[in-house]
Amino acid sequence: FPPAFQAFPRNPIVRDLAYDSIDFPTLEHRMKKDKKGLLSRFWG
Amino acid sequence: MPPKSKEKPKSAAAAPPPSISIEDLFTSIKRHVDKDEFEQIVKLSDQVLSVAPGDEDALRCKVAALIKCDKIDDALSVIRKVPNDFSYFKAYCLYRQNKLKEAMESLKGLDETSATMLLESQILFRMGKMDASVDIYRKLQNSKIDALEINVVAGLVSAGKSSEVKGMMDAL
Repeated sequence: FPPAFQAFPRNPIVRDLAYDSIDFPTLEHRMKKDKKGLLSRFWG
Repeated sequence: MPPKSKEKPKSAAAAPPPSISIEDLFTSIKRHVDKDEFEQIVKLSDQVLSVAPGDEDALRCKVAALIKCDKIDDALSVIRKVPNDFSYFKAYCLYRQNKLKEAMESLKGLDETSATMLLESQILFRMGKMDASVDIYRKLQNSKIDALEINVVAGLVSAGKSSEVKGMMDAL
């Protein structure tokens, strides 16, 4: 005692690469385009 | 529920003006996307959808965010309620639920992209079809996909082809 260490086979690891392909849509065109809006006229 | 309209989200303009504009909401969503703050994205997408029901971008954000924070059942129930084609998301959710045949069905008909190929390969792996799974990775070996080698090795070893690992790694 203690018993000697032994190697044992394990299941191969698989990484969920498809998860990384879950993407958000591009949103730039849905955001405000004109940055010289009311606010920037006061504070810009 | 407002009457169904085939018009794009613009129909929301007829609704009483929201306290925050849709553009502002999307600006916030984008900020949270950049920081991987998925629960916030779900909340904000719901806010967009409350004034613009059926907004494609908001729905897509919501489903993607639910998936990213591991709320697979919730994502699937959103996908099933809307008419939009979210086949890739659906296939991924079904894969996560281990409904492999249905997942494969949902992938059919989609254009072949590296995303659909990766998912198909992972489904095949879980089905025990190691050779078919590895064949897909062979096709992807020039695509510079991060960490692809992990799955390639898993596939080859599980297929009893450990001797091919070295050659494949050199090719990647």
